[in-house]
Amino acid sequence: MKKTIIAALLLGSAAGAHADAAGGPGCGWGNMLFEGQSGMPMHLLATLVNGTSGNATFGMTTGTNGCDTSGALTYSGKSLLAMNGVLEEVAMDMATGEGEALTALSVSMGVPAEERAHFNQVMHQNFSAIFSRDDVTAGEVADQISAVMKADAVLAKHI
Amino acid sequence: MPSGILLFITFFVLILASPSAVLASPLEELAAAPRWQALLHINRGATLRSRGQSYVDDARFFLSEEGRSNSLAELRRSIEVLGQPDAEERCRFPARYRYLAATLGWDEPEPFSHCDEYQQWRSGIPDASVVLVFPAAYLNSPSSMFGHTLLRFDAVDQQSDWYAWAVNFGALVTAEDNSIFYIYRGLAGGYPGRFSTVSYVTKIQEYAHLENRDMWEYRLDLDANEIGWMIDHLWELKEVDFDYYFLDENCSFRLLELLEVARPEVDLLSDFRFAEVPVNTVRAIEGAGLIASRLYRPSKAVELEQAGEALSADERSMAVRLMKSVSLAEQPEYQALSQERRHLVARAAYQAARFRDRSKENNPEAAANSYALLRLMHANTAPELPPIRPPEPPEHGHATQMIAMSGGQRDNNGFGEIQYRLTYHDWLDNHRGFLDGAWIEALNLRVRREESDRWRLWQLDLVNIRSLAPRTAFVRPTSWFVHAGIDRPEVAGQRDATRFVRGGPGMAWRVGGWLPYGYLQARIENNDNVDPFINSGGGAELGVLRHGNRYSFHLSAESLYFADDQYRHRGQIGLQLPINQQNGIRLAALHDEWRGGRENSWMMTWRYYFD
Repeated sequence: MKKTIIAALLLGSAAGAHADAAGGPGCGWGNMLFEGQSGMPMHLLATLVNGTSGNATFGMTTGTNGCDTSGALTYSGKSLLAMNGVLEEVAMDMATGEGEALTALSVSMGVPAEERAHFNQVMHQNFSAIFSRDDVTAGEVADQISAVMKADAVLAKHI
Repeated sequence: MPSGILLFITFFVLILASPSAVLASPLEELAAAPRWQALLHINRGATLRSRGQSYVDDARFFLSEEGRSNSLAELRRSIEVLGQPDAEERCRFPARYRYLAATLGWDEPEPFSHCDEYQQWRSGIPDASVVLVFPAAYLNSPSSMFGHTLLRFDAVDQQSDWYAWAVNFGALVTAEDNSIFYIYRGLAGGYPGRFSTVSYVTKIQEYAHLENRDMWEYRLDLDANEIGWMIDHLWELKEVDFDYYFLDENCSFRLLELLEVARPEVDLLSDFRFAEVPVNTVRAIEGAGLIASRLYRPSKAVELEQAGEALSADERSMAVRLMKSVSLAEQPEYQALSQERRHLVARAAYQAARFRDRSKENNPEAAANSYALLRLMHANTAPELPPIRPPEPPEHGHATQMIAMSGGQRDNNGFGEIQYRLTYHDWLDNHRGFLDGAWIEALNLRVRREESDRWRLWQLDLVNIRSLAPRTAFVRPTSWFVHAGIDRPEVAGQRDATRFVRGGPGMAWRVGGWLPYGYLQARIENNDNVDPFINSGGGAELGVLRHGNRYSFHLSAESLYFADDQYRHRGQIGLQLPINQQNGIRLAALHDEWRGGRENSWMMTWRYYFD
């Protein structure tokens, strides 16, 4: 399971040429909350032939993923947040208190199913600290989430 | 003469050659078995190009030099090569090895112990279940019009679908490939097609969030052994080039091939499959009994639509104003709402703002506004949010091809008409399972015979695409249409075939169950009877569309004025009554006027849809 998730996370950030911001070429650490996504493969042809934009990845658990992989095989939600558009989904779920993005985040942070309701509640309560500005970056959000979890009696053990 | 007979017999035997054929040797039987044929991607008659050959256009995929066209030679060579215990080729072709080992009784405890790369990949692939994913079309995006299909591999203890793996077949394109030339290449072939695997969340982002396409997820009824075949074979397709053809050898077609590897007896590819529309893939696997369950994943557009519908008219108006200026939140009007209603109003405003801005360049003002709305949502506790109501699933819609027979009268002449349409849907066709207001036709042919005349081509639509995207309080999309083909307007006293292209932008609204709309129209045409060679005109069309439970109704009026002082007016009314999923009766009446004449016509049509 762990391996799968790590692989999926790596793959995720590798998927396509659209993660192109600060934090390393092709990696989305510097992606901002409301990052414009016009660079996504929305152009006519790619949609028509279901094009694989850029280099076709093939699910290698090792190898290039766009982000700096040195020592990145750790179990964290950072890679998830660095993916284009995900930060916005997480923000909306956190403002609401539940949702698919928040669930995915909890899974990537290693929070087991029975602690998920608690995780959601803590994240909701700390929404303003985690998403402190309209141009907050994925890296900052990841750090804040870690800090909030560390300060929580139940969640601290996952950090 | 004897050699002719011999040739005939040989041919006959070849045709009958099947695993049970009398003359087949054991190896020939193995080579002709469905799974071996599926593993080599042999064309068994599903498409026209290279029948009897492999679709794989890549020498690296074959061990024998004649492997592409000779599955027996490939089998013999594979036995030789893969039979060696330390063969590197085993690491490239684990499914082929598995096939040979199972059928020839090879028994090695760890046949892939020297294949580190394969083993690492294989252990990382989730293999508990497989889901066929169908991102449907988005109304206003022409390039998505037929939808797409991909596969998703789920892990056994997967707690979020976001971590599943998506397996996608698509053309290998680069960001620069966006000109007409490349579109032509994409349609006509010329791009290599490849499988790739990415995290499923990127596909959700791409389709549901950015392209506003609903996603339908069909969990397949495959067991672990069958899924294992599929995954092993997927590894064999790593970086292997297929040709990509938009019409037949496309994403959906390749997925059917993968399913045949998993379960050869489903026999999805023996029939001719031209223009493999993705929804037909869903129907094919449903017909083969492969669907275990179905899940609907709404697009952002549908979420916004239903968020708006959940508000009262006053609340909706507040949400629109809130979207423009968050300061409304301080006003008594907003403060008077309950906390839960405040959340819902702020939520709709936020969703609308993001819908508008998501695919635009980042802009500080929009970001500040969105952030303020998000904080407003957070400040007001959310009520229990109702689940999104799914529309009718696409596989419940009528079939994609159609033939029709009509009888009617034009002026005082009776006529009979026969129609064939390759694909797919117009406004009056039964809209169950289709997007409201979508009209996508390609290759629509009508031949007519009037009294005292012969059969004539009456109309040919090469493409006819219309989108009616209703404008709401939150979104203001532009509708549009393009139409190219041959028709027979009255020109210079005659009704000769006229080649035309027309199109234009429009607007549509939803008023109760009615969809009123208007289009501007430009038309250029070429008719042998008139100068100039190209005649051009412009005009407008107004109409209204309604989809009832048991009928579809359309009324429209259009006017066109041409550079050479001709004009044409047309009023029409149409009603279709579905009999069942694949049959319908259509009534239509037309009134035409042009400089120098006018006429009325009506017709009654029986339409039969099939695949």
